[in-house]
Amino acid sequence: MSYSVASDFSEALRDSAPVMFGYIPLGMAFGVLFQSLGYHWLFAPLAGLVIYAGSAQFMAVGLLATGVSYAEAFIATLVLNSRHIFYGLSVLSRYPERGLSRWYLIFGLTDETYSLITAKPSESSVNARYYLCLTSLNQSYWVIGCALGASLQSFFAFDSRGFEFALVALFLVLLIEQVRTMSERWLLVAALGASISAYVLTPNQFLLVAIGLCLAVLIVRVRSGGVNG
Amino acid sequence: MDNYYLLGIFAAMGVATFITRAVPFVALAKIHRHPLLDRFGQLLPPMIMVVLVCFGLTSLDIESVNRVGLTVLSLAIVIALHYFFRNPLLSIVAGTGIYVIGVQGVGF
Repeated sequence: MSYSVASDFSEALRDSAPVMFGYIPLGMAFGVLFQSLGYHWLFAPLAGLVIYAGSAQFMAVGLLATGVSYAEAFIATLVLNSRHIFYGLSVLSRYPERGLSRWYLIFGLTDETYSLITAKPSESSVNARYYLCLTSLNQSYWVIGCALGASLQSFFAFDSRGFEFALVALFLVLLIEQVRTMSERWLLVAALGASISAYVLTPNQFLLVAIGLCLAVLIVRVRSGGVNG
Repeated sequence: MDNYYLLGIFAAMGVATFITRAVPFVALAKIHRHPLLDRFGQLLPPMIMVVLVCFGLTSLDIESVNRVGLTVLSLAIVIALHYFFRNPLLSIVAGTGIYVIGVQGVGF
């Protein structure tokens, strides 16, 4: 049982250490890339404050470079982060039912925060204050990383060519984690086929078309029965 | 450099991100968990990750044979390290490090 703010905080600090080691360098990679756009470096930590989604922020650098419209940015982010819809399902019962803290916890439900929260036994004495400490610690690591990368880059202007690979590596790592527990791996080949088709047919609408094709394959698969795989 | 444009994009992306995280809490809190929905929740995320890896690859400048080789090598390093050590930071930093060295140092 957690009795004090201090014990909740120290428990969250301990649990979030792995995320700190991931978020600070990754946030720095974002900050470095962001500086290639030429804005003031303070906008990089601002992105970490208001968007707070690693993959979406990396995508934002690419989108901003091409002068994307607000609507396109909005839709691309919805599609990119649609996986989060499925995360919420498993933490529904853990979060407080109302109040500002509930909405902040939902705002801060990143891939990594999700994995830390679901790693805690749900029957344990973990309380809302612990989740609040954990979520805000994770976000502060991320914002610090964004600020460090962008400010270092703006003051020293080192060569950032090649840093864009961090995004590919991040997605690949997330993919490997999910493949470990996946039952129907042929669907990955289908997703690869969908990506190649989208790239060849509609390179300008790559994400929307590729994910749409994936959804179509999955709907056919699930409706054709044999749901238990 | 239009700062208001940048802030607008941030706002659009911030709202979209929040919506994707809030949907299950607002919409699904009241309905029972449906087995089909669970099935989607299991199978769709890895498929989206495949698409995202491809999306990331399209954002790299792969214009030479050498660069293709470098990309394949970096991908293989990420996969191998993550398969054996399962440490996300190690996998990402090592793969990106090799790629950056290849692009900047060796000039692939």
